[in-house]
Amino acid sequence: MSRASRTVREQTRWYEYPDDPGSEIDPITRRVVGGSLVNICDEMGHKLTRTSYSSIIRESEDFGCALLDERARQLCETDSTPLQMGPIPAYVRGVIEIFEERNETFEEGDVILHNDPYHGASHAPDFAVVVPVFRAGELTGFSVTTAHHLEVGADKPGTCIIDTVDAYSESVRLEAIKIIEAGERNETAWQLIADNIRVPDMVMGDIKAQISAARVGAERLTGLFDEHGHDTVKTAGAAMMDYSERVLRNEIEALPDGTYSAEGRIDGYLDAESDAEKDVFLGVDLTVSGSDIEVDLSRCDDQLDNRPINMPFAGTVVPAVLLVVRSTLLDTETFEAVPQNNGITRPVSVEAPKGSIANPRFPAPTIARFCPGNRLADLTMKALAEVVPEKTCAGIGNLKIATNSGMTDDDEYWVYMDIISGSYGARPTKDGLDAVDTLYANTRNNPIEDIESHYPMRVTRYELREDEEGAGEFRGGYGPIREFQYRSDGRVSIEGDGSKYPPWGFAGGEDGSPGAVVVEGEIDESTPRSKMSNEAIDEGQHIRMVGPCGGGWGDPTDRDPQQVREDVLDGLVSDARAEAVYGVVLTDDREIDGAATAALREDG
Amino acid sequence: MRIIGIDIGGTFTDVYLVDNDDGTQHVHKVSTTPEDPAAGALRGVEEACERFGTAPSDLDYVLHGTTIATNAVLEHDGVETGMITTANYRDITHIGRHQRPQNYSVQQDIPWQAAPLVERRHRKTVPERVSPDGTVETPLDETAVREAARDLRAAGVESVAVCFLFSYLNDDHERRAKELVAEEHPEAFVTTSSEVYPQFREFERFTTTAMNGFVGPPVVEYIERFKRGLRDLGVTAELHVMQSNGGIGTEESIRRTPVNLLFSGPAAGILGGKWRSEEATPGADGTNTITLDMGGTSADIGIVADGEIVEANVRETDIGGYPVMIPMIDIETIGAGGGSIAYVDSGGAFRVGPRSSGAVPGPASYGRGGEEPTVTDAHVALGRIREEFFLGGEMGLERDRAGAAIDRELADELGMDTVEASLGVLDIVNNNMANAIRSKTIQKGRDPTEFTLVAFGGAGPMHAADVARELDIPRTIVPISPGVLSAVGLSTTDIQYDFITTEFTLVEDADPEALRRAYDDMLDTARSRLRADGVPDGRIGLETTADCRYEGQGYELSIGVGEGGLDDLEAVRERFDRAHDAEFGHNFPENPVEIVNLRVTAYGELPSSERVGLPDANSPAAEHALDERDVHFRIDGDTEAYETRFFDRTALRAGHRIDGPAVVGEKDSTTVVPPDFEATVLGYGDIELRQRGKAR
Repeated sequence: MSRASRTVREQTRWYEYPDDPGSEIDPITRRVVGGSLVNICDEMGHKLTRTSYSSIIRESEDFGCALLDERARQLCETDSTPLQMGPIPAYVRGVIEIFEERNETFEEGDVILHNDPYHGASHAPDFAVVVPVFRAGELTGFSVTTAHHLEVGADKPGTCIIDTVDAYSESVRLEAIKIIEAGERNETAWQLIADNIRVPDMVMGDIKAQISAARVGAERLTGLFDEHGHDTVKTAGAAMMDYSERVLRNEIEALPDGTYSAEGRIDGYLDAESDAEKDVFLGVDLTVSGSDIEVDLSRCDDQLDNRPINMPFAGTVVPAVLLVVRSTLLDTETFEAVPQNNGITRPVSVEAPKGSIANPRFPAPTIARFCPGNRLADLTMKALAEVVPEKTCAGIGNLKIATNSGMTDDDEYWVYMDIISGSYGARPTKDGLDAVDTLYANTRNNPIEDIESHYPMRVTRYELREDEEGAGEFRGGYGPIREFQYRSDGRVSIEGDGSKYPPWGFAGGEDGSPGAVVVEGEIDESTPRSKMSNEAIDEGQHIRMVGPCGGGWGDPTDRDPQQVREDVLDGLVSDARAEAVYGVVLTDDREIDGAATAALREDG
Repeated sequence: MRIIGIDIGGTFTDVYLVDNDDGTQHVHKVSTTPEDPAAGALRGVEEACERFGTAPSDLDYVLHGTTIATNAVLEHDGVETGMITTANYRDITHIGRHQRPQNYSVQQDIPWQAAPLVERRHRKTVPERVSPDGTVETPLDETAVREAARDLRAAGVESVAVCFLFSYLNDDHERRAKELVAEEHPEAFVTTSSEVYPQFREFERFTTTAMNGFVGPPVVEYIERFKRGLRDLGVTAELHVMQSNGGIGTEESIRRTPVNLLFSGPAAGILGGKWRSEEATPGADGTNTITLDMGGTSADIGIVADGEIVEANVRETDIGGYPVMIPMIDIETIGAGGGSIAYVDSGGAFRVGPRSSGAVPGPASYGRGGEEPTVTDAHVALGRIREEFFLGGEMGLERDRAGAAIDRELADELGMDTVEASLGVLDIVNNNMANAIRSKTIQKGRDPTEFTLVAFGGAGPMHAADVARELDIPRTIVPISPGVLSAVGLSTTDIQYDFITTEFTLVEDADPEALRRAYDDMLDTARSRLRADGVPDGRIGLETTADCRYEGQGYELSIGVGEGGLDDLEAVRERFDRAHDAEFGHNFPENPVEIVNLRVTAYGELPSSERVGLPDANSPAAEHALDERDVHFRIDGDTEAYETRFFDRTALRAGHRIDGPAVVGEKDSTTVVPPDFEATVLGYGDIELRQRGKAR
């Protein structure tokens, strides 16, 4: 470890940005540099997906890439999953903080591995690889990749573990480790990490892929400095941040000042004895004032000391809130190309008291923070729905993540992680999206033909649910049914939400339907379950995962009868439900019975 | 040997007629007839034959590039399509990879959910299942298939896609189901997923199959109509259609997998660009070429590395947001064309495209009601395009309108003058193209400075030098008749078939004999198909490759495995390690390598056309200058008005050298030679551009 007399701050002569970078740089150069930055991040993502080993990175795309300036302000990012990219600046700030504490400095050729949720990480399985970028001997930025690793040396196989007791039981802890120091690999650290991971080939291979992608980013950024001049690139980057900030502020400014609130519960540990663990309350109070948004989370429940659904503040909570503000007020459907950079974060501040489930104290466990975080995003949207309904949607269906594992005939671990999607709530002018990842997650499922070719598992069913949508003038999306069969004895862990509380309906729309976890011969649908801890599954046994259906929007009897008919023809809505819920009657030849429909709707 | 190439574009249909015996070649342009593209194309053939004195019955080859399949997808204008799929998997094409196309959007639509190729009511499931080792786990329920086929027929479905899991390992069930559907619904167009693309990843394969069904009937019907029309004109030669892989499909192959025509048009352009690059580099073995085909709304970029056209990874191809797994040339399309609109957005950023003014109203300078400034307007405002050349003087250009639109929408907003704003439009659009080229070169470990840029399409030659400068590309070729190069490219192609067998096996565990047998089967089929197409053995080329990855990875690289067969596996493995290093910058020689697919590509060589030389120049180019006018250029950050000579390209001869600044106009395009460039007219009339003072 290199010790230096200078702290990181002293080591880094921050580039002195002009007061108004936008006026210092012509709009053309700004576009040109902006385009090149995006191009670099694309290349990083391309390299990472194509050289990684685990399906969670290569097929599911659960990774992120970004370039930052020396103040850890994001310049640009790749187009992967938001929950991996959002926390990147927090990771880098965390690394800087730790370096300051340890009186350690960045050197050219360093590669730093980091996963501490109390120093910016989203949760322990998401490793960041940070490559400092130097220019003329001065630190001038960072090239970073993050990725979800399949196995991180926790107390149980895999990473969706729901009963860790503290931060130490969740992974091999990586506190800003220089895995490569000034160009030399730290073999001791490398070996130590590999020895603490159940499937070292795969995970260390993924780390190598992360390193190589982060180095490409650093190399290309240096090339961009060579091409346009260092100061020009930095000023253009700052101008783009100001631009993104300005566009977002314009949108916030247009909202009436005031405080908008939403609250709800998530599935805690439904089979737990303690009430505090059974259900968890989350409350969001969002205040618009001028062009600022302040989100106060002080009404959320306190942290759970022995349950890992606490949410790292910087790495999970803040990105969750920002994701919703961005996706509603700067929806890319309308705001095609506002860069996702540091500027987007400036108008929004988030507060949560220390000791809250949204801001836990070290060493409270956090590994299963995914579902509460996504629900927090959902409630932030609900608060916004009060003031800008036209940009939001009804309640979303949350996800489930399952780690399947077992031993091969050669006594080696196999671990397969699967993400089971939820669905979107209905939108003000259209139905919700069916069976997709929601809000801050946007991963890809693994092809059935890939899973079955490589693991002793079968996917025995993958279809939409029927007849259980959140009804409305626009209906919520349908959740999926995804069923597995084990072909040899193994174990499963599930981290999920949404089996007890349905996604919320809006503006007269009905609530959606909760999801379920069904284990053949053990757990049926009458027992809401959304979590399982490394439980044994026998060869031949089936597990069925049911994703929630999103909430509806508007009165179901205002739904265009033709749309109801289409859903009936598609087998999504039954005749009985069409009549009972939507007030639409179909004739025997499957046309709308106008008179009967009108009569039914009038009575309704 | 007389060859005719017909390329249907959005606005014009181009016809290229070449006679190898007397060495003549002709270009003819007619308006595209969107409601029935065959009508315009047939008129083009008829007029070209008449005008150039060739009897239709004397044509030996008819080669065709068409956007008919592309338009059917983009306009969602296919036929009512049904699917028969494995029980318990009804919604594979609806759920997709459970990913949203946009990260930051609540109001977005997902193409396959908002506009499904097969509606859920037409997705029928039947009991059957093949296991991951290719054995039958649940036998096919034939009664259920018959019933499904009858239901689909009753529902008015015209096309049926048969899509079963693991059919790439064992296609018995799919083939049997196809027979049954044909019995119950004889009029239906039926395709199976294993015949369309027998490779794993069910969502992508099923979607490609559904798309094949969706576009199949209209494409087949179009081909029939076109063939009939040709026959009525007296054409006796067989019709060959360009496929997305850059090879020519025969009628029979097109009838089976019309989805292979999706990128028919752009593929022809890349072939044309490759051909011109080779002709302009005599004696070179394996040229490196970047093709830039820039038209009115978009720019298509293709790469030829070491003489081989780069193919897309099937994982990365899509059309209209739907994934398609078909062998195709790697084409990067971006929304940058002459009609791309420049604007200042609500946050004050200067943007160009991807929105386009289209043919109507068109750029402001067309004076047809267009108010928004476009890339073309920037050129007009800078004085680079002259009215008398624009479409051969058939249409006027109004420079004042161009300048006014730029002032109003850009210059005033950004506090610039007209010239700076116009140059800015060009800088931004050039940078967009340069970035697209970077993504296909630098990102893939290819150094653009080792490539020749071939720029064509109506707008390509105006941007060629600027793009080359930005990427340090030493040499740029503007081919003769740059506006019709796609039609020309058609005449340079081969018949091409792709065969694929999915075979998951580790190289170290592989049975070389079994692999050899699999290759031999494919090679035999390939040879017999080409012979059936009338290709003599001496003109058959066969390429054997394998898609490999390190065990556990999810992306494959295609590796050559030997000349017409299989080399020893250790050599294949080493080749893979090297290819991985070249593509990604690192490799893992200690890790096991997995073979995923075996492939055979078969080529049947067609007689290619030869170009006629241009007479040599016998007077300095300067004597042919039309006049000099002021045109603004920015060099090294300094904007200046340069006295710029204008030339008519038809007056130039082989060997002419022109120092920039200069503008060379012709009927369908304009070549800009900036002050720091020089142009040379090559032997066949192509113009070579080089930056002055640059080596090489």
